[in-house]
Amino acid sequence: MEKPEMMQENLTRPWHERIDPVTKLLLIAVLTLLSFVLTNIFAEAALILATIFLLLFSGKLGSSMKALGFCAFMILTMLLIQGLFYPHNETLAFSLGAIAFYQEGLTYAALLGCRIIVIVLATNFFMRTTTISENAKYLENAGMKYKTVYLLMSVCYILPQMMQNLKKIQLAQRARGIGEQKSLIQKFKTILPILIPLVIKTLDQSMSRSISLQLRNFESKKRTVRALRRTYLMDKMFHRALGLTSIILIGCKVWMLINK
Amino acid sequence: MDKKTSSAPSIWRVNLTPAVIGLIPAAVGINYVAKAFAEGLKLPVWLGSLGTFLASMLAGPIPGAISGFINNVIYGLTLSPVSTVYALTSIGIGIAVGVLHAKGGFSSARKIFVSALIIALVSSVISTPLNVIFWGGQTGIAWGDSLFAVLVANHVPVFIASFVDEFVLDILDKVVVAYVACLIYKQIPKKMISYFKD
Repeated sequence: MEKPEMMQENLTRPWHERIDPVTKLLLIAVLTLLSFVLTNIFAEAALILATIFLLLFSGKLGSSMKALGFCAFMILTMLLIQGLFYPHNETLAFSLGAIAFYQEGLTYAALLGCRIIVIVLATNFFMRTTTISENAKYLENAGMKYKTVYLLMSVCYILPQMMQNLKKIQLAQRARGIGEQKSLIQKFKTILPILIPLVIKTLDQSMSRSISLQLRNFESKKRTVRALRRTYLMDKMFHRALGLTSIILIGCKVWMLINK
Repeated sequence: MDKKTSSAPSIWRVNLTPAVIGLIPAAVGINYVAKAFAEGLKLPVWLGSLGTFLASMLAGPIPGAISGFINNVIYGLTLSPVSTVYALTSIGIGIAVGVLHAKGGFSSARKIFVSALIIALVSSVISTPLNVIFWGGQTGIAWGDSLFAVLVANHVPVFIASFVDEFVLDILDKVVVAYVACLIYKQIPKKMISYFKD
């Protein structure tokens, strides 16, 4: 039974925090598969709108939009290359001087671009609404092996530490004038004396961490899984429904490919 | 090279020992840092598989493949979501490096070059369908995509054009990463190598 104060806490949490991490991951899978099943640009636009609403209602839209900058350049180059050279190009869309852009290529590139946007926004919903510790606790309670959970979570903790080391090294690089070199050979020669010690130091730290794990009896069979403090909205039902939807969507896509 | 005895552990063992559990996050971190280095210095290579190479060389193909897989999953969930699907490529790279290293493919400068070509081929074969599905065949690297555009404009099938685009970039990247990984491997203290190998 839930304790009254825990129940109260669960009720006051925003809606997106009452959805478990696995449901959110399955939601990414469903939205991604749906974007691949849809072949109409307007339907894709509606799907983008749906993911935008998802982020808007969870109050994470602003921070998620930055992530789109990552793929914006690729989408633009796709529009350019496919608009010009797509093998099925026939209908002229517009021309800029001697350069002709075709409708078929532009539509194809726009369709691919929409899929990318759906994936980026759906993934951002997961990224912005879960925390590392929440994911770790939930996965272990869901039955994932503690070694796998530790592996996944330790990566999340080690990365900020390494990025901090990298920033220090990059600062040192700038102080030494690295990056100004014109030739590639020069660039490689200057980064190696920094990269090699950093890598060896990282491996050394990982060896120390492994020894600590051994000393703390990491492989002990007697382990107690910490109980979840939070409860989630109908998590089992969501898992089944989204899992089933994913299978149906995969079936649809395979059917479409066979009947192409 | 040392002769292998019958008691030598198989390279295909799937035992998540504390040594491997400590090594994999480090390998992912090295991938991140090396990639950031390459981007910061505007090098024409990714270098993002350096950690995977080292994990495979130190602990075998399976830990290498796991570190490659986790690298892309974490990268996908933190920076670039589409990178997640390229986890398949990283698994292929991890396995190829681990097998080639166990067979002595990194024992001389010439062998490293040949091994790098094989790894580039493995990487390109796995990446090409993904590039076609997600990016219409492009790789996102300007000069590789220029080559892709030229080939498609000359009526070369998209799959072949995309493979050429990917392979040309992969050759350069994997050759550089293979030599850098070997250089680092030679600097690693022997006790550390035997710790991760056991």
